[in-house]
Amino acid sequence: MNRTRAVLRKTAWSFFTIVFVVVLNFFLFRVLPGDPARAGIRDPRLNKDAIEVIRVRFGLDKPIINCFDSLNPVKVGNCAVNPLETQFFIYAKNLIQGELGISYHANRPVVDILGERLWNTILLIGVGQILSIILGAAFGVFAAWKARTSLEYTAVGISLVAWSLPTFWLAILLLFWGSTMGLPVAGKATPGMSSLPLLQQWGDIAKHMLLPTLTYTIIYMGEYTLIMRSSLLDVLSEDYILSARAKGLNTVQILRDHALKNAMLPLVTVIAINLGFTVAGVIQIESVFSWPGLGSAIYEAVIRRDFPVLQGAFLLIAITVILANLLADLTYTYLDPRVTVD
Amino acid sequence: MQTTLQSSTTFSRPESGFTVFWRAFRKSRTGLVGLIMLAIAIFVALFAPAIAPYENAAATSVGIADIYQPPSAAHILGTDDAGQDVFTNFIFGARVSLTVGFFAAFISIFIGGIFGLVAGFFGGRWETFLMRLTDVMLVIPDLPLTVVIVALTKPSLMNIIFVIGILGWTTTARVVRSQTLAVKSRKFVLRARAIGAGRLHILTRHVLPLVMPILVVQAVLAISLAILNESTLSFIGLGDPTAPSWGQMLNFAFGRGAMSVGAWWALVVPGFGIVWVVLSLTLLGQGLEQVLNPRLDTHHLMPGRPKVGTEAQAAHPARDIILDVRNISIHYINEGKPPARAVENVSLSLREGDLLGLVGESGCGKTTLMLSLLNLLPAAGQVVNGNVYYKGRDLTAMNEDEINNIRWSRISIIFQGAMNALNPVRTVGDQIAEAILKHNPAFPKNKVPERVAELLDLVGIASAHSDHFPHQYSGGMRQRAMIAMALACNPDVVIADEPTTALDVMIQAQILELLDELRKKLGLSVIFVTHDLGVVAELCDRVLVMYGGVTAEYAGVDTIYNEPKHPYTQELLKAFPDLTKPKKKLSSIPGYPPRLDDLPAGCRFAPRCPAVFDRCQMEEPGLHVLKNDHHVGCHLAEGSK
Amino acid sequence: MKKKMLFTILIAALALSACSGGGGQAQPAIVRVGWAGSPDTLNPGMAILTEAYTIFELVYDSMYELNLDGSFTLSLAESANVSDDGTVWTFKIRDGLKWHDGQPFTAEDVAWTYNLYKDTPEYPYLNGYYTPYFDTIEATPDNEVVLTLTEAIPNIESQLVFLYILPKHVWESVNKTEYENVEMVGSGPFKMAEYVQNEFVRLTANKDHFSMPPKVDEVIFQTFENQDALVQAIRTGQVDMVTEMPNTAAESLKADENIELVVGAPLAPGVTDIIFNQLDPENCPEGGICSGHPALRDRNIRLAMAHATDKQQLIDVILLGLGNPGLTLIPDGLGVWYNSSLTDYEFDLKKANQILDDAGYADTDGDGIREMPDGSAPLTFRLNWPSDSINAPRMSELLAEMWGAIGISLEPQAVDPDALTAQCCPAFDFDIMIWGWASDPDPSALLYVYTTEAIPTGSSETGYSNPEYDELYTNQQVELDFEARRDIVWQMQKIVFDDVVYIIPFYDANVQAYRTDRFTGWITDQAKVELSDITSLVLIEPVK
Repeated sequence: MNRTRAVLRKTAWSFFTIVFVVVLNFFLFRVLPGDPARAGIRDPRLNKDAIEVIRVRFGLDKPIINCFDSLNPVKVGNCAVNPLETQFFIYAKNLIQGELGISYHANRPVVDILGERLWNTILLIGVGQILSIILGAAFGVFAAWKARTSLEYTAVGISLVAWSLPTFWLAILLLFWGSTMGLPVAGKATPGMSSLPLLQQWGDIAKHMLLPTLTYTIIYMGEYTLIMRSSLLDVLSEDYILSARAKGLNTVQILRDHALKNAMLPLVTVIAINLGFTVAGVIQIESVFSWPGLGSAIYEAVIRRDFPVLQGAFLLIAITVILANLLADLTYTYLDPRVTVD
Repeated sequence: MQTTLQSSTTFSRPESGFTVFWRAFRKSRTGLVGLIMLAIAIFVALFAPAIAPYENAAATSVGIADIYQPPSAAHILGTDDAGQDVFTNFIFGARVSLTVGFFAAFISIFIGGIFGLVAGFFGGRWETFLMRLTDVMLVIPDLPLTVVIVALTKPSLMNIIFVIGILGWTTTARVVRSQTLAVKSRKFVLRARAIGAGRLHILTRHVLPLVMPILVVQAVLAISLAILNESTLSFIGLGDPTAPSWGQMLNFAFGRGAMSVGAWWALVVPGFGIVWVVLSLTLLGQGLEQVLNPRLDTHHLMPGRPKVGTEAQAAHPARDIILDVRNISIHYINEGKPPARAVENVSLSLREGDLLGLVGESGCGKTTLMLSLLNLLPAAGQVVNGNVYYKGRDLTAMNEDEINNIRWSRISIIFQGAMNALNPVRTVGDQIAEAILKHNPAFPKNKVPERVAELLDLVGIASAHSDHFPHQYSGGMRQRAMIAMALACNPDVVIADEPTTALDVMIQAQILELLDELRKKLGLSVIFVTHDLGVVAELCDRVLVMYGGVTAEYAGVDTIYNEPKHPYTQELLKAFPDLTKPKKKLSSIPGYPPRLDDLPAGCRFAPRCPAVFDRCQMEEPGLHVLKNDHHVGCHLAEGSK
Repeated sequence: MKKKMLFTILIAALALSACSGGGGQAQPAIVRVGWAGSPDTLNPGMAILTEAYTIFELVYDSMYELNLDGSFTLSLAESANVSDDGTVWTFKIRDGLKWHDGQPFTAEDVAWTYNLYKDTPEYPYLNGYYTPYFDTIEATPDNEVVLTLTEAIPNIESQLVFLYILPKHVWESVNKTEYENVEMVGSGPFKMAEYVQNEFVRLTANKDHFSMPPKVDEVIFQTFENQDALVQAIRTGQVDMVTEMPNTAAESLKADENIELVVGAPLAPGVTDIIFNQLDPENCPEGGICSGHPALRDRNIRLAMAHATDKQQLIDVILLGLGNPGLTLIPDGLGVWYNSSLTDYEFDLKKANQILDDAGYADTDGDGIREMPDGSAPLTFRLNWPSDSINAPRMSELLAEMWGAIGISLEPQAVDPDALTAQCCPAFDFDIMIWGWASDPDPSALLYVYTTEAIPTGSSETGYSNPEYDELYTNQQVELDFEARRDIVWQMQKIVFDDVVYIIPFYDANVQAYRTDRFTGWITDQAKVELSDITSLVLIEPVK
């Protein structure tokens, strides 16, 4: 019962955080300078009326909230306007209906753009995370098990170097290398493959994924190795490991049945928190390899100052990270019988 | 389990904080390497004008032929997209990148530190508010935030430092808060509060110094993150192009086609700089972490040291001796220091069905001796002499596979502190079943729960509890469960290593009774390790008293109680409340057991011995055998029969 | 266990794809084009990017075709007749045309489309600029379109060339602004087959096109966000042609025997400009800050700076030589409209210093920087550029050095493009900016930027105001005689060149490349270089 209440509290807190992010997300993008109606475009063909039309189309002619027509520069407006006619309420209303507005740049609903890109990113992050977790955990286990040997020093050294690499730099070097190896250097698939058998399409995608996934794996593997190693070192000096040895279990049995699960626990939290940090890495990897995912959408939106897309992506990512953290908390509860969520 | 090692560290007043810190830090190889690498980078940044072959950003008379020139004598690392010397820009880039790193980290640490301190120290609403804020900020991806703030201001170096700094405080706040909480409850802080010291005084004089080291580690990590972030921002085109950092060099190389022309030097060199500095900081951070948060550098899976001293001792001739320890000596090897002689020349024989008591203060080598019986010594431990015979087979000569067959199925151990000896994330029943299946793979799977229930029943635990986790058990129940587990494979010998230490008196009595009962019922031979001579009196057949790693006295229980010959045994008995003489004053032995890596020259007990005389200071006493198989390690016993 | 599974799948997938490459059946001729962008939208009313226009050009038809030499040819119509007063145009649409979906293409579609563009204010780029002179558009039963203008204009071709004809039967029923038009039913030489934004556009040939049936079967435009990857892709043969690349790649691609490099003026020429804020604060428009340095209002200063600007070095360092020195906002790429009779201010520091000395700007305090004649302020100018430009910072370094030699110092600062827009116009809160324009085939749009009328609208970036010029601008808008109009346009360029309104460091060149071992027939000998232009894509055929 206690646990149920705790879970409810956590969930409620996550919900509150989401609301906070939603509000922040709105105002953040309203305090920007410049006129979004002309974002990144300078065209002598665009006259004053045309600009006004664009502003109306994106709802920028309405007051931001009551009393404020604009926040940058701050323009005090009429406080008596109908609150439902303000940008904030329109934003909130649209959000509830699952709408994130229209991209300044692409004349498409942001939801469509993000939806199209999301799956590609999930694919990249998914495979990359799985590989880096598996490899990182394996190296970490290895390093901890062979503590105080040159094997450990090598594993730790490599991990530290991997951790120190700027993501985009590694991506560029790998792109350079990959292109000399004849690997595809851009995109998710060779265009025009849609008529081919499914397996062949997958193979093509896998080939395109190779370089971005490799970059991702190298960048995050190091961190997981270090965490796994230190966590496992802690576990392995616990008394119950000695008990297990006294019981006559061999090394493999001890690692598998007694050490790994306990040592994985800190990793669960880190993976969830990492999801937030991953965003920065994914932006770099996707834009170097032209991977059509959320990251490159954000990169383009940054370059074009396409705020609705940026705003939508920001919201999507923040909510995902919040939910992932909640999930990690709950998983932790499930995995570790000692924890009764505080 | 590693009492021997821990007891050897004594508490002494530090000379100065820095000296102590430096001494500890010096030992960390990673930390030193990091420090040297960072020092080089800082040196380069400081003396850039002297090191660089050209003036910074000299574009004078650059022509088309100067662009992206490969390394040559004039430009040892080639030229970049504007025909400038890459090496020169690299040197000057160190200035900008390090500046960004240090200043941004300072901002992060400042904000995070204050938030953490305030939240941890003052608690209450402030804590709730600040920590909730931290939680929220922690989940918000900071890149979009950075974009907005950079767009809001001009992409100048100052703003970038500011933005990176302001978004990097969350982890620091968290870490500092928990450290502050920990420090706050320490005795001297509580004392300072009790005598009415002001809050600010406590915060600055007592709490801050202890939080400071954590802040330093956080700062080191924050610098490296800031440098990485700056390069990322530059890559996305949000950097300050007029401040030629390494990130900016990469941005130009990447944006202006270095790769297409094959100018690897323009890409590799600045990237190398970033990796160098970030790596140096990471290594430094690891080193500092090790100093602040020393971790035992051994664990239970590290391979033990092979036995030395192959000279075999003859096994005890008597047939009914099930476990025979002959002249065993165990050292802990400390690199560069004399080894700690944890156990020396100890012999004992366990008869079938007997209960042998092993008595001594903590840190006298009891546990080490017991662990050595099953080759379970920690990695630093080494059997340097002697043998352990189980039914005539030498356990010390066995390899890991062979000894694994003996462990638990023949000889099992009940560890002290069963909370830690049971795996917290597996159910008790599961852990018992594991032992059964390991040593009897043919055991029918469906019968296992039955057998577990039977074992639990044996120690008085309802079988319904078998699905529970150790933390759901009470202390006494855990100890019983540990016993049940020890009995799972019907062993011949059970080693009970202070099984009752952590329990209250009532439970202790119950556990002891249970053990004795089981011994009789199952015909076990038991070695009972304790520091409490009183416990031994009721149960044991023979008693071995250890002091400082050597045998003080070894005899039948009656002999020990009625005719103790070693002054240490005598003192121990005085410390034991005799129910028959309630008025008698209890005495405890003054002083502490010796450090095993710094033993006195003569008798190890001499510094505390009430009967000490000159010879004791110089000559180590031998083990004298008196009548009734009574062994005494004292000069006084020499000659007496 | 899981680990092993995953690897197996990955390896299996790789092996499979490796096999797929080698199939040798009779393959359709697919042209793979690598480009750095992607259309912003396929709705012609809403599109801005040239990538979108490239696709429209291939899939739709319009009344005129823009040729690579800058001239126009009538395309959809057999004939075009204009009334004597120049206000009524009658276009006879070809008979028997068909949409890609098989429906007949008639004058009705044309008239409907022109009315759509005219009457939809949400199409700001078309509506505001191309259709303001449209009065009525009607289709006649004879498959004719009658376009009545509010007044006679000289440049009907350039007004109509980007007004692509849409199928009335599809567009009638859709929301004109929100419609994404991904299916894109057109009538042009290529049909839309598949489109994923920011990934690729796949077009198949419309072999039945009335004037330009393509010889290849498919064209695929693939997006590369990273230009270096684009270069690698053409090197390794992943694409057959690239529409842009870093200039650094030029040398090494030239050396590749299977790759042909083409350099020339782009179809839509780009101009890089150095903008001087010369607005007189007395004319400060509404909402303006007008904080420009007073010295920049003096032609002598601008003239001295022009003489101190080594354009060739700028071109060499920034473009690796792949560009031409510029004169005014009208680039040489606009062909006849470009005033080729002007000669540039020679790079001469001595002369530049002399001009400043004569005008009374002396370095009175000996810090190497000149002051205003009254000694009030040093000649220190703020220099801004949009932070998304990778070339501008390099230019600012070079300019600082060049102008430093004549005692002028700069405070360089990149600014977010939005913020720069806000700072620029009509706020005039800057001294000097580096920015650029893309141009329309007709010079009118860029000439407008210099007018007084453009100051409050935000189109004028300099605040330049010259009544003589303004009058000429109005004249060229209505001058129907081509030669006469050209003369006016040339005269206008001379005025703004003499007044040193801008310094135009260079006109960007297009650098493109194609693989010679894949397709042949690319048009490379025209005034403008645009391999992805329709004229090239319908001509090329596979190398045998």
